[in-house]
Amino acid sequence: MTNDKPMNPLEMLAFIISKQIKDHEVIYIGTGIPMVAAILAKKTHAPHITFVYESGGQDPENLEMPWSVGGPMTWRKSPIIMEMAYSFGQAACGMVDKGFLGFAQIDMYGNANTHQIGTEFTNPKVRLTGSGGNNDVASLVDKLVYVGLQDQNKFAKKVDFITSPGWMEGGDSRKKAGLLNDGPCAVITSAGVYDFEPESKRMRIKTLHPGVPAALAQLASGFELLAPEGEIPVTETPSKEIIQILRNEVDPSGIFISMPS
Amino acid sequence: MIFDYNQEALKNLKIEDTSVLDRLVDYRSARDAHLKKDHSQRDKRLSLHEAIAEYVHDGDIWCDSSFSYVRSALQGWWEIIRQGKKDLQAIGSPNTNQTYGVLYGTVKHVHASYSGAEMRGIDKMFSRNVKNGKVKIISDWSHGLMAQGFKAAQLGMPGCFSKQGLGSDIVNHNPYLKVMQNPMSKDSDPCVFVPALFPDVVIIHVNAADKFGNARFYGPAVNDIATAAASRKVIITAEEIVSNYDIRYHAKGAQIPFNNVDAVVELPFGAAPGYMPNEYYWMRYFWEKFFGWAAESDEKCKEFFDEWIINTKDINGLIEKVGGLEWLKKSRRRARAAEGNNETDGVSFTYKIWENGMGDQDLE
Repeated sequence: MTNDKPMNPLEMLAFIISKQIKDHEVIYIGTGIPMVAAILAKKTHAPHITFVYESGGQDPENLEMPWSVGGPMTWRKSPIIMEMAYSFGQAACGMVDKGFLGFAQIDMYGNANTHQIGTEFTNPKVRLTGSGGNNDVASLVDKLVYVGLQDQNKFAKKVDFITSPGWMEGGDSRKKAGLLNDGPCAVITSAGVYDFEPESKRMRIKTLHPGVPAALAQLASGFELLAPEGEIPVTETPSKEIIQILRNEVDPSGIFISMPS
Repeated sequence: MIFDYNQEALKNLKIEDTSVLDRLVDYRSARDAHLKKDHSQRDKRLSLHEAIAEYVHDGDIWCDSSFSYVRSALQGWWEIIRQGKKDLQAIGSPNTNQTYGVLYGTVKHVHASYSGAEMRGIDKMFSRNVKNGKVKIISDWSHGLMAQGFKAAQLGMPGCFSKQGLGSDIVNHNPYLKVMQNPMSKDSDPCVFVPALFPDVVIIHVNAADKFGNARFYGPAVNDIATAAASRKVIITAEEIVSNYDIRYHAKGAQIPFNNVDAVVELPFGAAPGYMPNEYYWMRYFWEKFFGWAAESDEKCKEFFDEWIINTKDINGLIEKVGGLEWLKKSRRRARAAEGNNETDGVSFTYKIWENGMGDQDLE
């Protein structure tokens, strides 16, 4: 089946995330777009990556989108199936390279919230999912990448609850808090790719997607985005071949990469 | 024991009477409960009704098992609701199945880790009930921190030091967690102290168990091996009861030892409507409809569960609703194919997102 529709933003997102994955890495990944991206990476430039899941499943055969992190797609013919405490334990012991997480809110230092909207814990505007494995992945993997849609509420001046600490208040505050690893290395959104300025640890534009001027990215943020010196590079876009792999092999039912109509 | 809780968390959670918190971390009382059990290798078979009536009491700390809709002991949990048990504390990583217990007053307090439907997003019903106070979160966790608490219990330790949770608001919203200096380090090295966690009762669904309670299962253990050791009372529900010889000579062995276990219930389809490794696929339109209706309103969700839990007497009724024998055949084939144990041709894994007016059957 060939499908020549132009690339949509979710496909772009999946492609950019996939580029963050290097061959031979061990990665923590959940369901949704990051999983789409990881499968894409595995089918293209990173065929030897190993997936680990918090349920205990790891390294499944014939990688497919799992409908649950406990489901058979996360442990199909796995050489070993672990327990939850051991699964995170291997990340703490330095055996997991990278993790990908979503966010409901993220601030300029990469502190992320999946707990609640509203600051009063006992009476939030909306209770979200809670941490699940987010805090653990953010606290333990060597390199952490955040992924999500970007708007003024999601890129928040202050997050309503710190589920997963980023660079905390910037500078060396994360290190002082005793965390094992660095804060997030990248944030990937519908507008661009961001990294963190090495001294202040504030979020900085790395590249912007085609057609997104810096002013628009700034408009979709509740805090001031730093910009690199000189011209801001444009994010690489996927080739036609990659888009076909995404549509036909990675997410053929289009659950994750078709835009809501 | 008199416990010294995290004061800031008590304030943030507005907990005045801390007695509600004590039993979960009272390792001496858990040891006493385990010592008082009859440790003999005896026949522990009971009916589901008897096991729940005898071992689950109002106010117990009930632990969700396995992973949301994969091998979770859902039929055991539904029987708790059917028997009208009240005011339980719910714990578990994840603890997604607590949410409909709130509707029936089965669950009143929650040790929260994750409530949601993964790729379907947040659990709007739980969210509503937290907001309106029908259920109260009395400690907030990450999956890993709670898993460490269960594992510490299994290992016989009063607690452990973790590098998770640091710098987060979780530690300010969990009376059990404390940021402490690593006593082995002269340099500053903050850690999070996680106490060992002892639920009152856990129901674990397995592929096979013998009548003594030695149990084996396929797929991820999640926290089940730890919570079986930690919990004061353990009910095993099993797809089949096998002989003690079968357990001894099976290559997989048992993951849960008999002396953890109080009751063994032969309960084929005990994980339905969820997925059971090696056995059957999840009842997809049950969950689709549930997520759809739960998002709409509590009334709608109660109507749904009155039909599926309260007025569905047992597993036979449930299977009839999703297609009877046809479902059994297709579901087993689907699970076997999903795990790479059968050919995938003729097996469909695609399904539709719920829309009102769709049927409950899950045949293709």
